[in-house]
Amino acid sequence: MKGHFGKFGGRYVPEMLIPALEELEVAFNSALKDKSFVQEFEYYLKNFAGRPTPLVFAENLTRQLGGAKIYLKNEGLNHTGAHKITHCIGQTLIAKRMGKTRLIAETGAGQHGLATATVAAKFGFSCTVYMGEVDMVRQRPNVFLMEQLGAKVVSVSFGNKTLKDAVNAALKDYIENVSTTHYILGSVVGPHPYPTMNAYFQSIVGKEVKKQLRDDTCYLPDYVIACVGGGSNAIGIFSSFLKDLSVKLIGVEAGGKGQKIGQHARRFKGGSVGVVEGYKSYFLQNKDGQIEKTHSIAAGLDYAGIGPQLANLRDQKRVEFVSVTDKEVISAVQTLARTEGIIPALESAHAVAYAIKLAPQLSQEKTIVVNISGRGDKDLFILVEQLHDKEFYRFLESYIKKGI
Amino acid sequence: MNKLNQQLEKIKSEKRLGLMTHVVVGYPSLNETVELVRLMEKSGVDIVELQIPFSDPLADGTTIMQACEKSLINGTKVHDAFTIMTKLSREVSIPLLFMAYYNNVFKYGTQKFCKDAKAAGAAGLIVPDIPIEEEQEEHFIRFCKKYNLANIRVISPSSNANRLQKNAKVGSGFVYCTARQGITGARKKLSSKLNAYLSQVKKYFTIPLAVGFGISKPEHIKALKGNADIAVVGSALIDVIDKGDKGDMEKRVYSFIRELNVID
Repeated sequence: MKGHFGKFGGRYVPEMLIPALEELEVAFNSALKDKSFVQEFEYYLKNFAGRPTPLVFAENLTRQLGGAKIYLKNEGLNHTGAHKITHCIGQTLIAKRMGKTRLIAETGAGQHGLATATVAAKFGFSCTVYMGEVDMVRQRPNVFLMEQLGAKVVSVSFGNKTLKDAVNAALKDYIENVSTTHYILGSVVGPHPYPTMNAYFQSIVGKEVKKQLRDDTCYLPDYVIACVGGGSNAIGIFSSFLKDLSVKLIGVEAGGKGQKIGQHARRFKGGSVGVVEGYKSYFLQNKDGQIEKTHSIAAGLDYAGIGPQLANLRDQKRVEFVSVTDKEVISAVQTLARTEGIIPALESAHAVAYAIKLAPQLSQEKTIVVNISGRGDKDLFILVEQLHDKEFYRFLESYIKKGI
Repeated sequence: MNKLNQQLEKIKSEKRLGLMTHVVVGYPSLNETVELVRLMEKSGVDIVELQIPFSDPLADGTTIMQACEKSLINGTKVHDAFTIMTKLSREVSIPLLFMAYYNNVFKYGTQKFCKDAKAAGAAGLIVPDIPIEEEQEEHFIRFCKKYNLANIRVISPSSNANRLQKNAKVGSGFVYCTARQGITGARKKLSSKLNAYLSQVKKYFTIPLAVGFGISKPEHIKALKGNADIAVVGSALIDVIDKGDKGDMEKRVYSFIRELNVID
């Protein structure tokens, strides 16, 4: 069986899921060999998602920091606001080939759920999205939008009530309804073939960057930086550069609000190897193997595990992992907004925050590409709270007074 | 001969349906787990599985998941499961099994887990999320054999001929058939396709068949007679534990098991 990345990955699931995953693997492999599938996928990326997304030279930010040239891969311009739509389109086309009629998904920040609800509407599937109770509270706007798209959003009230619990709930639904349902897992995690399949779909991001840079001035960047929750946007932009050893690849984890367990989501600093949710990788867990609580201001990074391919790339020292704090992230959102006119998602702002630290240490000949995996519209309420915008509170008050 | 095999032989020679029950270690408390297992033996249960609580129990429904959560909040450690197993296996004569998710086994060390489980008196292991395909990496099957532990495979109605064949090759003790495609939890009715599925399983397995997932009523047990060798009752017992006063928990559990009426 494929699906191992060194000692990581695999398919550690109960027997009752194995036939479904085998079916999915066969469908995925046959789709890749089918030219019409690849064409259809590319057609919808261009004509529905809006690819390719631009690679923007961040002229003002570069000047302000006085170091390396910074480029921004603006994935926030994808339909639904983030890179997630790409693997949703890919998986839905596979689900169509398999004759499934229902799509389910887990979501953290709500971006993957929103993208799933969107493709379900577009391609005529019914749709259920699982979301942790904690995330549902902090990402209410996305819940509303998913419902407008016709999806049923189910609140998950067990465990830590965040992303990993939503994954568990979705896997259980998948087990029970596997004959009609395809589970659109939203990252490069979970049992084989999900990490491989989503990495394949997301590899378009790196391919575009490579081409866009070639069209511009330089051939290869010196650094590529991406935030890492499960790791779909990171592996998407990294994969085209894995063999270009001169390119330093940096994954930015959520440093959260402190060093203690439960205050961050740094799987490599605080975690150890385990087998959870169907795959072997690094997890934030205790000595007994019980998953620990995590925290990040960005719901999409608030996850105890990390994609197995990234775990392997880290052990091979091909990808370096660092972290930034919630505070640095908020300040990075403000900096990017004012210098470049781009409000990044809180997840993506982790990559921006690290680039802001790194660029001044490098010479002006060096080039950094930062993956802006999503735009910040969804974070409006968190930003308002963090920036103590009293006017916004007054606006909400008057809004509520009006009543429905 | 392993204690489990002896018990399975005995059930067979008595021409009856065996009963396996389930506890979550540390639920409602460690002391009560011990009491419950003693009581289960007294009420005529043939085998008990002791589930090690895990934070992310993929194959479990709400009932067992919440029991695991509460046990972990109480502070239950994997080490406690071994302590309880050691104590109980000396006291009770029926075979005891560990049910665990693989991450708890893996973190403990697969070989050490098997070795210590044997030393503690466990007769076998039910680990639903360790697939045959990862044997080269994990050596789970090898260590079960080495330490004379039954490697109980869990299969489902979606297991096709290929999967049944592969599992039959490595399974020992008995094979655990989930009564439906789904997760654990008591249900009102059993699937109408259950018997057809069990006959399909019998084509591949020569060891006894246990059926669990959803079994909660005397009618279910009756329906299994002649089609399976062991009935497994898990979530339904936790529901009984949860419903009512703490004071007469043992009485409720005892009469529930007697009512299941497997002792004929």
